[in-house]
Amino acid sequence: MTNHAHLRKDSDVLLRVEDLVVEFKVPGNKVVNAVSSVSFDVKEGETLAVVGESGCGKTTLGKALLQIQKPKSGTVRFEGNELTSLSKSDLRSARTSIQMIFQDPISSLDPRMTVRQIVEEPLWIWSKGDENERVEKVKSLLNNVGLDPELVLDRKSYEFSGGQCQRISIARSLALEPKMLICDEPVSALDVSIQAQILNLLNDMKDRYGLTLIFISHDLSVVKAISTRIMVMYLGKVCEIGTTESIYSKPAHHYTAALISSVPVPDPTHKSERTPITGEPPSPVDPPSGCRFRTRCPAATELCATEEPMLREVSDGQFVACHYPRA
Amino acid sequence: MSSILKLENLKVRFSTHRGQLEAVRGVDLDIQAGTSIGIVGESGSGKTVMSRAAMGLLTGSNVTREGRITFDGKVLSDMSREDVRNEFGTGMAMIFQDPMTALNPVRRIGSQLQESLRIRLGMSRKEARARSIELLTLVRIPEPKQMLRKFPSQLSGGMRQRIMIAIAISCNPKLLFADEPTTALDVTVQAQILELLTDLRQRLNMTMVLVTHDLGVVAGNTDYVAVMYAGEIVEQAPTTELFANMKMPYTEALFKSIPNIQMKAGSRLPVIEGRLPDPTDRPPGCGFAARCSYAQDKCFTDHPELEVAKDGHLYRCWFPLGDSIQRKVS
Amino acid sequence: MRKLWSTFNLPTKISVAWVSIVMFFVVTGSFLPLPNPTEFDPDASGVGLFSSGHLLGTDINGYDLLSNVVNGARISILIALISVGVGGLIGSAIGIASAYVRGKLDIAVNLLFNILLSIPNLVLGLALVAILATSADPAIPIDPNRRVFIIIFSLTVIIIPILGRIARGATLSWVNREFIVAARSMGMNDRHIIFKHIVPNVLPAIYAVIFLAIGVVIVAEGALSLLGVGIIDGVSWGAMIGRVAGDFTYAPQSMYVPVVVLALTVIAFNQVGDHLRSQLDSREGKI
Repeated sequence: MTNHAHLRKDSDVLLRVEDLVVEFKVPGNKVVNAVSSVSFDVKEGETLAVVGESGCGKTTLGKALLQIQKPKSGTVRFEGNELTSLSKSDLRSARTSIQMIFQDPISSLDPRMTVRQIVEEPLWIWSKGDENERVEKVKSLLNNVGLDPELVLDRKSYEFSGGQCQRISIARSLALEPKMLICDEPVSALDVSIQAQILNLLNDMKDRYGLTLIFISHDLSVVKAISTRIMVMYLGKVCEIGTTESIYSKPAHHYTAALISSVPVPDPTHKSERTPITGEPPSPVDPPSGCRFRTRCPAATELCATEEPMLREVSDGQFVACHYPRA
Repeated sequence: MSSILKLENLKVRFSTHRGQLEAVRGVDLDIQAGTSIGIVGESGSGKTVMSRAAMGLLTGSNVTREGRITFDGKVLSDMSREDVRNEFGTGMAMIFQDPMTALNPVRRIGSQLQESLRIRLGMSRKEARARSIELLTLVRIPEPKQMLRKFPSQLSGGMRQRIMIAIAISCNPKLLFADEPTTALDVTVQAQILELLTDLRQRLNMTMVLVTHDLGVVAGNTDYVAVMYAGEIVEQAPTTELFANMKMPYTEALFKSIPNIQMKAGSRLPVIEGRLPDPTDRPPGCGFAARCSYAQDKCFTDHPELEVAKDGHLYRCWFPLGDSIQRKVS
Repeated sequence: MRKLWSTFNLPTKISVAWVSIVMFFVVTGSFLPLPNPTEFDPDASGVGLFSSGHLLGTDINGYDLLSNVVNGARISILIALISVGVGGLIGSAIGIASAYVRGKLDIAVNLLFNILLSIPNLVLGLALVAILATSADPAIPIDPNRRVFIIIFSLTVIIIPILGRIARGATLSWVNREFIVAARSMGMNDRHIIFKHIVPNVLPAIYAVIFLAIGVVIVAEGALSLLGVGIIDGVSWGAMIGRVAGDFTYAPQSMYVPVVVLALTVIAFNQVGDHLRSQLDSREGKI
């Protein structure tokens, strides 16, 4: 049984993930299917947002793409290279074209290193240029992310605010001129007024360096500002995938609709048409049979408990895994 | 309507190794019984410190508090610590951002829930048990009897927050402080908890103070909003009035810079440049002047006072927005 | 360094001063104009403190106590430094490696550390010395140099799990930080990750404990000597105490001079270690 209806032509895509499964052992000899047979692809220049609540597997998925978390099965093809079967040293060099930035900007920087050492590190690892060339490169990277090199080069990361640390992280991730940047909740630890700065910076860097972004987030307001395509996940499965406009204007999966209507709107006159969903996501150790969302779904029937819905196209480029998609 | 909590010129200072840090500098706030008010600000704005100080919860040796706090007719700021503590539970209660650290991990939910019922309200074991099942039903926990036997670690974040709410309302408080009650929760759970809080507030006739950084949370769940910046209230109004008619440039800039689900997909957000002023060394004029796109010379030298406009709209700005005709030019 | 000194409180300053004095004697001991520690003064047997020619008095046999304490410092401190140095190096290496690799190796290492730590230091030391320093023929005493080596070895075994566990714990707290993941995703190899990111962050935790470990070793060595299984020739502080134990009534100073010096030294090392650790904790808090 394949679930590949939504995948696009192989020659068009930069990254293609098929049937990816990532498992964890948890106490009690149980196995959690953190990512359960997920397939998707990303075209060059796109920004794919991976959206879902805690426990949906979005962070694990990000790490599995880079093979930091070894997937149990499935394939990850990037620019024609099959990452899951590369040798350790080939993988090391392949990773340089996919970089990652993380949620906690402070923990992503080594507190004992100066900003210069942090941003220079990737260049040092790959022996790019001599000492002077590297420093020049570091300076231009810092400039590009909006930091004054003269002021920051010799300071350590704990002297900076969260937003500035995230800028340093972004500078570091761009040092090797990657093709793809995986951003795991890059703004959710930041203050509200700083989030916009970092989102704008990511968009600028995307244009300047010709990046393709995978943007992992739980925040649908943030996602709307940055993504071109959205993939919604629930308990390790893909619920829905489509363009940003289509997902927000006519969500087809009941879970997507519930997520969107749950976001508080900063407008007191706004009357929300809340899609009533109750309860919380069940434990991923023992997910429900059939459709994993059925226990909270207002439209669930017996069919949902017995048969897992496959992704199918509901409108141009919008695919949903639901037996009874919203009209 | 009568005043339930009144703060007059509340100041809170911390002495740190870098000198005196004035976290709250002269807050006046009058909260009417039965309403709900949102306190909005970024981290460092003083919103959490202010609400803790108002409840008499800041007691460290490096903290100095000034000003008058009147709660329900009693002058809290003149009372002994013991008497203030007696107001907790029956007078005011609080729920926190992280319910895991606010619950004792080694005690069952039942015993934590019944503790204050038995001590504060003098209930018997049986009465307390019956009441706690009632409370758990009130916060919409399915199978409340089984819940009494569980430990906090067996519960999800949303369930824990419901338990915290049940404990907070157990002694029928008049005033409920909710400090970022949904920040740690998933978005679908956040919506449920906010709805629960609003519903309980109306049914139990409580006053609620909702401290949050999220303008969206405030918009749907409060009657009044006070915006804090650099230790002061910079704008305060009925919620609909505030969102319709922002007078303080900071409020507007914050509102515009926050990603909003109603905006056009992929639109570029305007940003607030710069950062909060150093709390140990506040500038003489308006705290927001250095980041404000409308700032004039006066803003950097003279500290604005809270002005009153019509509809109970307060603002702290020399050149308020939407007010170009009456603009007070220096 | 100046920043660190400014954080010292009075007890720490006194401790640092005491440790410095002891270290000064360790280095210069044999050049100081003191009586020969191995020659007794027939004219001054068991004289008290501040006697002429014997600042701290002599024991019942007329040996000068000051020169013996200074000489003992050399042995006690050198043994402590060597065993803590070697034990610390081995322990940290094992701790860091096992926490970095995880899996079965880590389980085994952790079990071994726990077993060693569950045995009281003195019992462990006694057992090791008893097993290793017994010659086949009881009539032939074991070579004194070999004996010193065995003592150092036993003390090293005591130190390995103490520092190993600290290193393991500290490594575990750093290894999942996102900058390590970031380094890996930039293509850094394991060796570089360990030496560039993990070791520098784990070292401060180890520095602090090293001072505490030195105190542990001085006490353990003293106890072994006191029990008669340490350095028999009677040169370390513990051996001094052991040798004069019977003479307490006649020459009490011969007992309490080494006891006080040993106690002060251990307290001073502990104080410095504690201070370093509290500094470290608060700095961690800031990060």
